Amino acid sequence: MAISLKENITVGFSDFWSRKVRSIITVMGIVLGTMSIIVVLALVKGINNQTMKWMMERGGLSKITVKRNWEYKNPEHVRNYFTWKELVLIRSLIPEARYFNPQQRQWVRLSYKDKDYRTSVHGVLPDFSKIEEWDVQEGRFISAFDIDQSNDVIIIGTKVKEELFGNKKAVGEVITVKERRLKVIGIMAFRYMKNSGAIGNDNSFSYLNRRTFVPLTTMIHKGSGSDNISSFTLKAQNAESAPALREKLNNIILNLRRGLPVFEVESAKEEAEEMAENQKMFQTIFYIISVISLLVGAIVIANIMLATIQERTREIGIRLTVGARRRDIFVQFLVQTILVTTIGGILGIVLGLSLLDLVSNFLGIELIAGIAMILVALLVSAGVGFISGIIPAIIASKLDPVEALRYE
Amino acid sequence: MSNIINIESMKKEYKMGKITVPALNGVDISINEGEFVAIIGPSGSGKSTLMHIIGCLDSPTDGQYSLNAELVSEMKKGKLAQIRNKQIGFVFQTFNLLPHLNILKNVELPLMYAGFSKRNRTRTAKKVLEEVGLGDRLKHKPSELSGGQRQRVAIARAIVNNPTIILADEPTGNLDTASGGDILSIFSDLNDKGHTIIIVTHDPAVAKRANRVINIVDGLIQDGNIS
Repeated sequence: MAISLKENITVGFSDFWSRKVRSIITVMGIVLGTMSIIVVLALVKGINNQTMKWMMERGGLSKITVKRNWEYKNPEHVRNYFTWKELVLIRSLIPEARYFNPQQRQWVRLSYKDKDYRTSVHGVLPDFSKIEEWDVQEGRFISAFDIDQSNDVIIIGTKVKEELFGNKKAVGEVITVKERRLKVIGIMAFRYMKNSGAIGNDNSFSYLNRRTFVPLTTMIHKGSGSDNISSFTLKAQNAESAPALREKLNNIILNLRRGLPVFEVESAKEEAEEMAENQKMFQTIFYIISVISLLVGAIVIANIMLATIQERTREIGIRLTVGARRRDIFVQFLVQTILVTTIGGILGIVLGLSLLDLVSNFLGIELIAGIAMILVALLVSAGVGFISGIIPAIIASKLDPVEALRYE
Repeated sequence: MSNIINIESMKKEYKMGKITVPALNGVDISINEGEFVAIIGPSGSGKSTLMHIIGCLDSPTDGQYSLNAELVSEMKKGKLAQIRNKQIGFVFQTFNLLPHLNILKNVELPLMYAGFSKRNRTRTAKKVLEEVGLGDRLKHKPSELSGGQRQRVAIARAIVNNPTIILADEPTGNLDTASGGDILSIFSDLNDKGHTIIIVTHDPAVAKRANRVINIVDGLIQDGNIS
């Protein structure tokens, strides 16, 4: 004797269509609410993705960086660089580290024939390429032999190659740096990552393409003339063991510097976690705003449904007269409200998805949509229908048939 | 003929704030299956209240009402809905059709609440609408029909579940004499087919169609059960 759900949905649909304008105005709040949910979820996912991509591009989550702590004023003038001997000691204390790369950097002018280019030259070990997960696209990188012999060789970034050699072959040519002749043995792979929100230069990695690399020993013995190293990087076995290694390394360095924080030791994994933690706050704010906008939508819908029920009092009376049970009336109005908000939700999802490109271009952040967020938006819109429909539906089902029939 | 409706010393009072307004003051009525009864009385006499109670839309303050030898006061709300759906058909003065549904859908309504499948519903409703002469108007909205046609739709809706009792409240009140006459003829036909017809009216001309007239004034039956 019961009227089926399918039946109710059909009745709900025909009610929806027989009151098109009102239905559409009713759902506007839900359309905008679900639209913002879709955009916000896609934005959050996009930002997280961007952060993770950046981390991976910069050597992954197992990377650990040691560098001078610029926030520490160093009033006791503790030595703020490492000597070669200290580095050898540190390396021997952390055998679990897979790769280890101390480096020096100088600003120089490179010359080839009549062309000059000012850039930075980095003295590194072969491990550099492994730690940064960055190899040559042509020729070869620095070898252990180059380090041993302090060879006069240089590897250049693509931008440097372009500036000095244009389209001509660079590997095998000799360039002059501080009156020392260095043979070009390799060209680093071109690096690119889309720059968020920048005008003009869209490559956040263009600075990497301007770099050049020489063996660390060559730089110490023939360039800087000093073995002072103020920063180094290393790689743990995996991302999971990175925080423990960072902790151990930090203690070793503190011991070497009388417990004073002259250096800071950072692990990419913890840094990523910290970023994710910071982003959570923004995510929460986004979610709260979306929920509030949906609640406002729900209140509007509840209000309209109450008015609708008053308007349809006579209809309810007629339905009761021809055999509708109170449950049928309750379900009819509840299903109808849920239907209205779900239709609004679907519209909002479609609108939200079609807005993603626009928002992405406007903010300069890649937005990523997923099935899960569409389901979330759909469930939320149906949930709003349930919340805003339940009280009007109860009121409708409690109407007295005789009074309802008399209602003008 | 078996007794289908039996009402004993029924009272109905309405509370309007602190004042209690009596509508029925102890009514006894007995109606047999297959009768054509007119309940006649001036406005405010309580005849509509009586009809609502007979139709299980309202409940009395006091007294007993049994329908098919079952006490209505002991029935649950779901059972009452089932009785309104299957045993009683209503026809009103103002037609009470749903304006946004076409007449086929209007007539299908009781079948829908009875749980019929969509296909059975449409077939049955079509057949009944053809019987009342509206087979060519199925997709029309009530507002596109004349008063007489609308009342025929209402009758089709009332009889679509093949109920034993048809209750009509001033069914000709909004109609001209000719269409009113047509409607009354339909009631006579239905009575011939075995339906019990109860018409509430203030119009003696309408009451003449019935086999039996019950006079009600100020909530009391005047002449008892006189034919």
